[in-house]
Formats: sequence, C-alpha cells, structure tokens
Amino acid sequence: MEVSPVDQAVITQALIAAADEMGIKLIRSAHSPVVREAQDCSAAILDRKGRVVSQADLIPIQLGSVTHTFRACLEHHPLETLQDGDFLINNDPYAGGQHLPDIFLFSPIFLDGVLIGVTATVVHHIDLGGGAPGLNPDAGDVHEEGITFPPGRWSVARDWNGGPFERLVRANVRMPEATIGDINAQFAANAVGGERLRGLCRKFGADTVFAAMDEMLDYSERRIRAAIAAAPDGAYSGEAWLDDDGAGGEPVPIRASLTVRGDSIAVDFAGTAPQVATNMNSPFASTASSAIACIKAVLTDPDIPFNAGAERAITVTAPYGCLVDPRPPAPVRARLLPSYRVVNAVMNALAGAVPDRVIAPGFDTTTVSCLSHKHDSGYNIYLEIFGGGYGAGPENDGCDAVDSMLSNCSNIPIEAMESDYPFFRVEDYSLRSASGGAGRQRGGMGFQRIYRILDDGVTFATYGDRFRFAAQGVFGGGPGAKAETFVERGGQKIPLKSKQQFPLSRGDRLTVRTGGGGGYGPATERDAGLAERDRLDGFGSNPG
Amino acid sequence: MRVGIEVGGTFTDLVAVDGESVRTAKVPSTPASPNRGAMHAIDAAGLDPGRIEELVHGSTVATNAVLERKGAAVCLFVTRGTRDLLLLQRHDKEAIYDLRYRKPEPVVPRRDVIEVDERMAPDGRAVRVPDRAAVAELVRRALADGNYEAAAICFLHAYANPDHERTVSGIVRELAPSLPVTCSSDVTREFREYERASTTALAAYVQPIMAGYVGRFSAALAERGFAGRFSIMQSNGGRMPAEAMARNAISALFSGPAAGVVGAVRSVAGAGYRNLITLDMGGTSTDVALIADGRSELASMTRIDGLPVKTPVIDIVTVGAGGGSIAWADDGGLLRAGPGSAGAMPGPACYRRGGDRPTVTDAHLVRGTLRADAFLGGRMEVDRDAARRVYEPLAGRFGMSVEDIADSVIRLAEVSIVRAIQRVSTERGRDPRDYVLVPFGGAGPLHAARVAEDLAIGTVVVPPDAGVLSASGLLLSDHVHYRTRTRRLAVAPGSMADIRATVETLQAEARDYLAGLGIEAGADFDRVLEMRYLGQAFEVPVSLAGLDLDALRAEELARLFGEAHRRIFEFAKPHGDPVEVVSFRVGVRAPPPPMPAMRGPRANGAAGRRSAVLTERGEALEAGLLVRAELGPDPTRGPLLIDDGSATVYVPPGWTAARDGNDNAVLRKEA
Repeated sequence: MEVSPVDQAVITQALIAAADEMGIKLIRSAHSPVVREAQDCSAAILDRKGRVVSQADLIPIQLGSVTHTFRACLEHHPLETLQDGDFLINNDPYAGGQHLPDIFLFSPIFLDGVLIGVTATVVHHIDLGGGAPGLNPDAGDVHEEGITFPPGRWSVARDWNGGPFERLVRANVRMPEATIGDINAQFAANAVGGERLRGLCRKFGADTVFAAMDEMLDYSERRIRAAIAAAPDGAYSGEAWLDDDGAGGEPVPIRASLTVRGDSIAVDFAGTAPQVATNMNSPFASTASSAIACIKAVLTDPDIPFNAGAERAITVTAPYGCLVDPRPPAPVRARLLPSYRVVNAVMNALAGAVPDRVIAPGFDTTTVSCLSHKHDSGYNIYLEIFGGGYGAGPENDGCDAVDSMLSNCSNIPIEAMESDYPFFRVEDYSLRSASGGAGRQRGGMGFQRIYRILDDGVTFATYGDRFRFAAQGVFGGGPGAKAETFVERGGQKIPLKSKQQFPLSRGDRLTVRTGGGGGYGPATERDAGLAERDRLDGFGSNPG
Repeated sequence: MRVGIEVGGTFTDLVAVDGESVRTAKVPSTPASPNRGAMHAIDAAGLDPGRIEELVHGSTVATNAVLERKGAAVCLFVTRGTRDLLLLQRHDKEAIYDLRYRKPEPVVPRRDVIEVDERMAPDGRAVRVPDRAAVAELVRRALADGNYEAAAICFLHAYANPDHERTVSGIVRELAPSLPVTCSSDVTREFREYERASTTALAAYVQPIMAGYVGRFSAALAERGFAGRFSIMQSNGGRMPAEAMARNAISALFSGPAAGVVGAVRSVAGAGYRNLITLDMGGTSTDVALIADGRSELASMTRIDGLPVKTPVIDIVTVGAGGGSIAWADDGGLLRAGPGSAGAMPGPACYRRGGDRPTVTDAHLVRGTLRADAFLGGRMEVDRDAARRVYEPLAGRFGMSVEDIADSVIRLAEVSIVRAIQRVSTERGRDPRDYVLVPFGGAGPLHAARVAEDLAIGTVVVPPDAGVLSASGLLLSDHVHYRTRTRRLAVAPGSMADIRATVETLQAEARDYLAGLGIEAGADFDRVLEMRYLGQAFEVPVSLAGLDLDALRAEELARLFGEAHRRIFEFAKPHGDPVEVVSFRVGVRAPPPPMPAMRGPRANGAAGRRSAVLTERGEALEAGLLVRAELGPDPTRGPLLIDDGSATVYVPPGWTAARDGNDNAVLRKEA
C-alpha cells in the first residue's frame, strides 16, 4: 500500500509526538524522585508486529532494548493470543531485560477487536527487594539483587488494582507506595499512547497507519545505511578497560572488532574478559544497545528517528559467558559500567574509520549514590545517578557535569531532596574546577556532591569506576581527573571504594566526586581567548 | 486619545483610538534603538504626543537583551556550596545522541557568583544565620572588583523563608544605594533552586536594560509634549505602569506574543466567542494558544534560549513553521518543511533578495493561494516565476508537478501547526471541536481553514485588521498583577482556613500593589491552586474562578483536582487518596475603558479580476476573488480568496465565508 508523502509525514510526526507525550505524562504523574525528578524512564510505541517505531528521547540504553524485551514476552505469549486489557511485564536481564530495577511494561492496543500496536514504558524502580535497600553492591548473583518478573502476560482487571500480581509486587519491595504509584504512572502513560494510536487509525484507517509504520522503519534503516556506506570499508578494532572486577582485582578489558562492509557494520566482542563474580556484568541486551547507540551517535545526524529499523544494518555478537554476554545467574546491577566501556571500545575502533567524527573518551561512567534510612515504619531510600565530564570534540570543549551518553538523568534539586529525605543535608554541589583534561579543546569537568548526615541508621551504597584509570585525551590532549569517594568522621578521612556499602551516622560528611573528560589536541594550541575566560572563571585543567 | 504601539522584529504597529475614530500605522522597526521606530509610527499616524492621554507599549527589548546577551553585568549571591548552580543546571541533555552537546549559556558567568555563609532548612527554619559584618565585607569586596549594574540573590529554601535574602539585600542597598537588587523570593516563591536562580539572574540581567529603555522613551515622549499615562505589556497578557515595569522587567520577556493573544480574545469577544484557539503565523514561526471561557491559561514556567523562566506566562506553544520555512528532501527521501527558515533576509525566492531555497510563501504563489498582483494588498512586488523555479528540483525528485509539490509543502507546514494546537488542546484534555480558530499575523488566515479541518474545528473567525492585532491587544489589555507562593497544605477540613487565608493574603497583596501604583483593581481575582496527589512532584493547576471561597469544602476541592488530573493524565485516584496544595497563584486585574470596534478596510475599488485558478490536493480550482469589504452577511461558498490588505484569507471548497455584525470574517465548514 502506497502512503502519500503528506500522510506519511503526518503519521510519523503523530507517532513520535505520542511517544513524547507518554514520556512527559509518565514523569509528571510518577511518585519516586528517581522518575519524577531524575527522569530515569522511557516510553515507546511498537507496531502490531512488536517492533519499536517511535520513542521518546529519554534514556538511550533502555530504549535500545525495548524491541528485544518485548520479543522475549512474545516467545511465551504470541501476538495472536493477546487480548484487550492484557499487560505484559519483563525485567529479566536474561530474557532481553537490562537490570532488575528497569521494569518494562507493555500494553497491547486494540481497535474494533484488532491489534493495532503496543505501547511500552520503562521505569527504573527505586527498590525491588534483594539483599539491600535500593542497591546491593555485594550481591553474588541476580537473586540477591531483587525480584525477577520473567516475561509474562497478566490482566489489568484481574491481576492489578488490588489483584494478585499487585499484591505480589507490594509484598516484595521496600517502598510499596512508591513502586505501585510508579507502575500506575506506567499504566497511565501506556493508556495515553493507546488513545493516540487508536485516534490515528480511526482517522487514516489502520492499513494506512500500518503501511506508514513500515515505512518509518525502512526510512531509519535507509538513513543509517547511507551513513555507514559513507564510512570506509575495513576492519577496525578498539579496546577499553574497567578499573577492576568489582572486588579490587585486576583491570578488566573490553575489546571490540568492527567490520564495515558496504552499508552494514558487524561488531564482535571476542577478546573481552570473562564474566565477573560481582554485579559488573552487562546483559547482552545492554551490550547491543550500547554498541548501536555509539555507532548511531558517531556516524549519523541526531535527527534520525531511532527505531527497530535503525538496528537492521548493525549486527552485534559476543562470546557467551564473557563480561558483555554473561551466563545466569551472574549479578548485573552495575551493567552500565561495562556498557560504557563497550561505547569507549566501539568509539576507539570507529576512530580508525572516521577520525573526524569521534570525540575523546569522557568520564563515561554511571556513579550511583544511594542513601537509605531505616526508621520505625519502614524505609526511606534516596538514589541518584551521576555523570561527569564529556570528552572534548574536534571543535568543542566537552560538556561539563552532565549525565553520560547512555543515560539522561536529571539531578534531584537540593530543595526537593531535603524535603523528601530529612536524614541528610547537601553542603556542597559544585564543579571540580580542574578536572577536565587539558587540550586545544578541554575535556568536560566532573563535579562533587557533599552530604551531611543528620541521623543514625543511614547506609550509603554505590558503584562507579575510573577511580584507577582516567578518561584519556586524544591527539595530544590530556586525561580527565579520576573519581573518588570518601567520608569525613571526627577529623578523619575514610576513603571508600568505587563499589561498596558503608554505614553512616549523624555528623558524618560524605563526599562523592565524579571525573572529567579527556582533552582533544595539544593544550599549547588552545585559543587565548578561551584560556583567559577559563582563568577569570577559576577553571584550570587536570594536572594529569 | 489612547495609543497602542507594538514593536516587532520587522514592523512597528500602532493603533490610536480617539473617541469613535480608530487610526492604524505600520512602519519598519529600528532594532538598534526601538523607541525611534515607535516615534516614527506616531509621526506616520500624524499624532500629536501632547494629545495622547494613555500610551500602551509592547516591545522585545528584554527578550533581545537575553538572546543577544546584551544585558547588565550582574553579581549573584548564593548559598555557600552552590556557586555552580547556573552551570550544573539539571545535569541532563536536550539532545541525547549529540556527542558535541553544550548546555545553554547562563547570563551570569562563574566569576560573578558570590557565596554567602547562610543556610535555611526546607521548613523555613534558619540553620545558619548570615553574619552581617562578614556579609558587608563580602559585598564591599565584590562591588570594588566588578563594575556591576545589578545584583541578584538566590538562597536555598528562600521560597519557604526569605529572611536571609532580605538581610543580604538590605546590606547591598546600604552599601550601594543605586544598585538594583533582585531577590529570588520576590521573583518567584517556588521550590527547585536551579529554575528559581535562573529566573532571578535573568530578572536582574534585563532589569537595567528595561529601565534604561523606558527612561529614554519617556524622556523622548515628554520632549514632544506627552504627559499621559504610560504602561507596558507583560508576558501574562496584562499590562503594568512603565515605572513599575522598569523594576520588574522579567515579566515583559514574552510580551509580544501575549499582546497578540489578548488582541484576538478581545476582538472576537464582541461577537460572543469565548472558547478559542489563536493562530499567529508570521515569517519564521507560528504561536498558538488556547482560551477557555474568555481567559487565556497561564503556564508557570517557560524557557528563553534554553534557560528556565519561572514567571506566569500566557501558555503559548511555538513551532518553527512560517512563511519563510524552507522545503527540502532529507537523505532518507522524506519531504520536509522547516525548521530552517529564509527569515526576512534573504527571504523567500519570490522576494528576489537573493533567496534561492523554496519556502512556504513561494509555495503559495506557485499553488495560487497568494497572487503576485495582490501581495500585501499590492504594496509589494513578488516574482512568481522565481518561486516556480526553486520548486522544480523538488518536483523532479518526487515525480510530481510543481503545483502538487508546492501544495504538499503547505500541507506539511499545516501538519506542524496542527501538532502545536494538539499540544495545547488534546494533550491537556481539551477537545479542539469545542473551540473556534482565530487566525492572525500575515499568514494565519491563509492556512486556518485547512488546519481547522484537520482538527474537526468547524468555525474560523478572522478579526478585522488582523495585521495590527497585537497593537490593538495592547489597548484592550487589563492592568494585571500576579502573586505566587509555595505553601504545602493537605486538602483536609482542618486546613481549609489556612488555604483561604493564604489566598486572601495574596489577594490583598496584589490589590495593594496595584493601589500603590494608583490603579484601582476590580473585585474579580484569578485564583489558581497548584495541586497534586501526595507523593507526586508535578502539580496540576486548579482554577477557583467563580467559586465562593468561604463555602468551599475540602471534599469539593479534592474533587475539582481529581477532574483536572483526569483531564490531563486520563486517570484519577480513588476518592479519599491524599491530595495537597503546593502553591498558590492569585492575579488581580483592572480593565481598560471600552474601545470602539475595529472596522475592516473600506472597499477601495474592487479588484480588477474576479477569479483566479489555484491548485489544491491535485485539483485545479477556480476561486472567486473578493476584497474584505465586499464580503456580505450571507454565506458565500468557497473556493474564495479574500484580500484583507495585510493578509489573504483562503476559503477552501466545502467552506463558506460571511461577515458578522462586528466585521469579523466568519468561515464555516459545510455539513
């Protein structure tokens, strides 16, 4: 069926707008600060075959795996068996999911009894049980990280709103009001998307909408392929290192081999370290979305809609049992750490193919800062995701103090935090003024957050990286500063590790510092005006 | 005589009302010193400034100061530990796949941010009181170092207790009596420190610029004998006396689009239209707003150049679709219109000023909905062949005729406008079919009927003199002042007295403020409570307009909130789920004297030709040609092209047009 250019444009815009609207309403009606302030969530619309056609630009790593997470549901509940009023849920890292806190919720949408598409939302939930509130850095397997909801189909009317599935969730999490409230926000956003999808089908006819959806996938595929075809054919390789295996051991390498042939790219991770005993394993869905997100960001213009069609030109493979495709029941909570090194390794390889399109490595690390407080009537859990400095580009300084590439979490305002979490006060939130790598273009700066603990019975849990290996500069640029975390107690400074739990008491002062990005080009070539501006504003570059 | 002068990017418009007579003028703007253009307009209309009793002014002075980064040198005082507040922002990116992303540039650089050792808790309790001597020393040093033209203060939790901000502003005023000082708690009493600090910094940044501009303009007017009242439009659609505006310039940031909305609302009110969607389409962009029951809705936050501004603004959605929007084919083979624009220079290809890209205006010439011999009422010469030539490559690429590709481009531009209208209607739970569409601006009336059709809106009302609608909006606007306050209160029988008292305090404050400026306010208050379910972070505005506050019970308030929540989010929680009020917004207004109805241009000689051929949706149509004054009270069936002097109204087939008793052109979709 042929769709006119105008109808195609109308339907494309409307589907992208509907996904955006789902994302906005999800954030605005959610309960936990990690969703409503930090915006650790995503939304997408899938076609009637279960392929993502449009998505809200929220969290790239979640978005990259929506199609795969849904496919795992379909293996147990094929499309033709779905009914109006069903919902599907999946958070299983070993069935297309990410890590347990990211719950994928799908609502099949029907019009006149016919399946016309599926709306999907993903939320990072604040606590899903497991061995510690919010985050258990010591988990030895995925079971210690929380409850798994394997790919499964349920009924809203029968199982939610007081039904058995809702009660199951409620019984297994530490902050049930927040979790149920956030899942309700997912249901509501899915409903909004469903309403928009039905409206489109009523207006244009379902067949026209289906044909336009097919074309949206083909369109993204064509544009990605055109961009790949412009890169020189060949085999390229890259690598990146994690500080350790999560338990203070040896550095852990991630190696990527890229083959560019015509208009497609194959990525393989042979040579990557075996999986580790700690939570620093990247489930394959995370690995694949990281590699694809990096290739898209480097090779293409930001305006190409990301959907299932964009993935067709790129194949990703990894040896089973390695760090980036672990065997169950390996723990995976800190999967973004290896995922970022996947990005670094792939970008390092792409530098060989398209040196003028890459940027220097950035801090490229998710640092989780989680403070939980146990009181008489339950738990209060604070969790925030920190980025750092971006790597410098050929013509720009790296962005300062911003979430890293695979994520896009906002900070929680100090004024919101201190209202919701009376057990601490923020004494400092500032840029680390000399943390960006020196260079013709300076690396982005990291930042620090200092918390004063106001009550006993508080636990800090964290994971991070780049305590040992800084983000390196490129083409003569210098490295960014490394990260560090420490506690001041009674005049003593207690250094913390990049991954650990630590009990805190009233009066303790906790400092979390994130690192800077690498510089681009030699510092001696830096523009005098920029250097003077930095001096006036009190910015230096990392002494190296 | 009362005069409204609106300074826009390209033109300065004037409307003068003297008894029953109305005069208008349109002259080129003078961006380097906008008051000169305004004076030119007064001269062009042949007005004697000495006879002007009231002058209402709208300008982009404050907006341009921000966009061009030509505001004042500001020093910003913040709580110790938050020096980098303006640079850290919210830690997120606007473009997630952009490797070279940069954050929006703040208006106060880091070197001008000064930390004060003070601290409040979220409940308004002082944790650390600032030491007066230490602060005085800090201020002295800061003022000695920098040549500051303004000071701003934003302390943590000042929305809960502004005492520390007041202490420090007092010290600054003592030491530098001539330095204007802006406190965050005076600009907006709401939480979220980055958004409040950004607003405060912007307020301080534009304030001296606005004060200087108002001073120069007042002096120039006085020199010419003007001794009347002088007021300025605000972003919220109301105006303020100029001397008050010079102290509160941030509220003028979006005054231009606001004046247009007020003009549209008031122009069609005479004919009884109270529920409308305004559509203001110009050269580079289109602004739309939704008006329910004669009142424009206010948004509590907007952005300028990426920087948040938390002051009440008429809720306008802007899209990059205008007459200058450029048509192109992307590398995936999709036909696109905009967001790139040829702007005023070089402009569309048909202007022959060097533009060589196909624009929406060119498409109208090619398609025949604009005619070369009647462009801007025949006052401007355009080249239809040039328009055709720039469309030929696109036509070849898609295998379509030049007319058909031009028609497709226009429809794509209309798709963006439809999207913008959906954002202010369906996405907020409003059904566009309950509204009439009111187009203005140069290009609005050309697209309105087709846009309406896509939204199933059956009526389009084109007010007379749509080209100077913003200037008449100035004269039609009320004096308005808003007060806001963050105060979290549970919705429960026990707290209703507190809720009432807070509203009443704000009402009294707002009324006293206007009284202090010599303006007597009406008894009609805008009262909006920002509410949410306990545990949520974003609030839903609930209007208390027309309700008896003394009789309002907690249950009723919770129910009103539930309805508002359902309208936006398509769900409400079960009755009895805890609800809280987070902040209060109260506005007071003083209406202007009535203004005689605007009348469309008189029939100034009928057009030479009575019909023209145009192409739309693959069909060649013979459209009747009319000048506006020829339109009668009985419906005439489309296709029609109606020449309105500064704009063309397109009435497609399936639509009729008629003139109502207020001189509006009313287009209706035939059943």
